[in-house]
Amino acid sequence: MNIRQALKMALRSILGNKGRSVLTMLGIIIGIASVMTIVSVVNGQNQQSLKQFEAMGTNRVSVSLSLYDGRDCFQDLYNYCNSLGKDLVVGVTPSGYANATIVYGTKNSNAMQKNQENMFSENGTVRTDVELPPDLYYGSDQYAVCNNYQLEKGRDLSFLDIRQHNQVCVLGARAARNFFGYADPLGKDLSVNGYPFKVVGVYAEKDPDSAFSQDNVIIFPYTASRLLSPGQSISDFVVKAASREATEEAVTRLNGFLSGLTGNGERGWGNAYSDNQWQNTLNEQAAMMSMVLGGIAAISLLVGGIGIMNIMLVTVTERTREIGIRRAIGAERSSIVTQFLIEAAMLCGIGGIIGLSIGTVATRITGKLLVHMDIWPSIPITLGAFLLSVVLGILFGIYPAAKASKLQPVEALRAE
Amino acid sequence: MLIEIKDVYKIYGEGLESEVRALDGVSLSIDRGEFVAVVGQSGSGKSTMMNVLGCLDIPTHGEYYLDGTNVRELSDRELSRIRNRQIGFIFQQYNLIQSLTVLENVELPLIYQGVGADERRELAMEALERVGLLGRIKHKPVEMSGGQQQRVAIARAIATHPPIIMADEPTGALDSHTGHDVLRFLQQLNKEGSTVILITHDNGIAATARRCVRLQDGKIVEDREQEVDWL
Ligand SMILES: Nc1ncnc2c1ncn2[C@@H]1O[C@H](COP(=O)(O)OP(=O)(O)OP(=O)(O)O)[C@@H](O)[C@H]1O
Ligand SMILES: [Mg+2]
Repeated sequence: MNIRQALKMALRSILGNKGRSVLTMLGIIIGIASVMTIVSVVNGQNQQSLKQFEAMGTNRVSVSLSLYDGRDCFQDLYNYCNSLGKDLVVGVTPSGYANATIVYGTKNSNAMQKNQENMFSENGTVRTDVELPPDLYYGSDQYAVCNNYQLEKGRDLSFLDIRQHNQVCVLGARAARNFFGYADPLGKDLSVNGYPFKVVGVYAEKDPDSAFSQDNVIIFPYTASRLLSPGQSISDFVVKAASREATEEAVTRLNGFLSGLTGNGERGWGNAYSDNQWQNTLNEQAAMMSMVLGGIAAISLLVGGIGIMNIMLVTVTERTREIGIRRAIGAERSSIVTQFLIEAAMLCGIGGIIGLSIGTVATRITGKLLVHMDIWPSIPITLGAFLLSVVLGILFGIYPAAKASKLQPVEALRAE
Repeated sequence: MLIEIKDVYKIYGEGLESEVRALDGVSLSIDRGEFVAVVGQSGSGKSTMMNVLGCLDIPTHGEYYLDGTNVRELSDRELSRIRNRQIGFIFQQYNLIQSLTVLENVELPLIYQGVGADERRELAMEALERVGLLGRIKHKPVEMSGGQQQRVAIARAIATHPPIIMADEPTGALDSHTGHDVLRFLQQLNKEGSTVILITHDNGIAATARRCVRLQDGKIVEDREQEVDWL
């Protein structure tokens, strides 16, 4: 018997018992598709949040500081940080949030508010081309280095802008696009709560894939808060340390400085803590998530595998008799094993490919519906799931053949 | 001699207290073109003997010469070839493959012979025609009556035109009329030159054979020529 006939024989056998064939494939399909979908979607979301965090930058120290007499304490913090030296602290800035209406030509930040309704595209992913109102921040001349922005055009906020209460601002890349389109924003005046603020610079894009992008920002000299948010005092600051090691050192020094400044809490309150801490927590969570996922994946595969094994073993008796009949009318051992091998490989291969296709579609649909992301299945997971179920299927598929072809034909015929 | 067994034993659980001697020192010779009935009560060892003669089983002790060759010395491949080309089996329980159609079942021994598709179909159709089943070749065995299934099994046995036909209780599950047809068919095959070995517990059925071998407790107790009851 040649290979072509063995192929035909296997095909006949598959088609001749459709119920058994479908059940076998179902185990493989479910195993592969579920593992692909679960792992790929959660993995994709995990990576997305890590990416966003990375865009924010590392080695940041958050400082809260407020004095009861309401005095502007940033100048003290600024001077102290700059006295520490660039190998310990590279920058310091307020991180206060402004609330104002921005108008330029026909563009109006209040009107952009309602665009939130259109945030999702028809197929469920987030749209990055919707004009959402920008986030407004008060910063120092070191805002960019503290928050991981690179200047693309014009100039950054300067020490003098702060000192002289200049009505200037720097735009994030998306805010620039939203208000100015392809026109050059440099030198143009934005109306901020009715006051003119000149655009002096634009930052490079760094967070292109998010809906609420860190590029949709406008940075004002923090001294502009007297004009824009009268009565609001800024109490949150960010210090950028030079390195991971420097972060710890900076936190210690800053806390010392803060307790001096506040007289150990008598004149106000102050506290410095490292963002790395919750970045570490986030990393740990991501690692944990991966482990849980690995577990889920393993269980799904196990369930799929048991399904495959079950259906194969349930039919062993039936198939053993069949093997007995085939042997009685003249099939050699090798033809039997070849036929069963081809049969199992065909079933598992077809099932595997169907599982792959369903898994891909399911990953993309779930990604869009659940986490609003454009997710493709992860290749190592897909490959792993595919190989494992196909190998399992083939092993259990040839098991009856391997077992029964060792018997005398009469013993195989007697199987019950 | 075509078939020759010498002092053959088939012992289950040899050496145990519960050992069963299904064949207990049997010697028998069958010549080309003979029609032999093997009779005996249930459990006397008839099926066991057919399995040994058909190379479906190997005896515990003793030698079996088929066409002068000692079967014990043959490889799996050679034994498969003998079952495929020399012997046509008709089993008591039909032993058709349920997932295949009637035609595919009958074609199966021809596939293992390596016969090409066209010739294979021709031979299978010819065999099915001889048993009068041409109308139902696309059906599955479960969709057919017992008598029809037995005819499919017969068609499968004769499709390769084997020189030896072995039938184990071929009429066991059939009514007397259908059984009659099957027996007449075996006589016909024998007339055409096949060697036929018919296994039965029924003396009336054994009367269709020229020679009658009687088994009892695994031993041959009678071996005689008889008047043939032509059907
Ligand atoms: N696999 C086996 N294990 C143990 N004993 C067996 C086995 N196969 C057959 N026997 C025993 O061997 C003896 C002969 O069995 P066999 O099937 O040859 O009888 P038979 O003459 O064909 O009977 P029947 O007319 O009922 O088919 C019986 O006693 C049976 O119990
Ligand atoms: Mg029997």
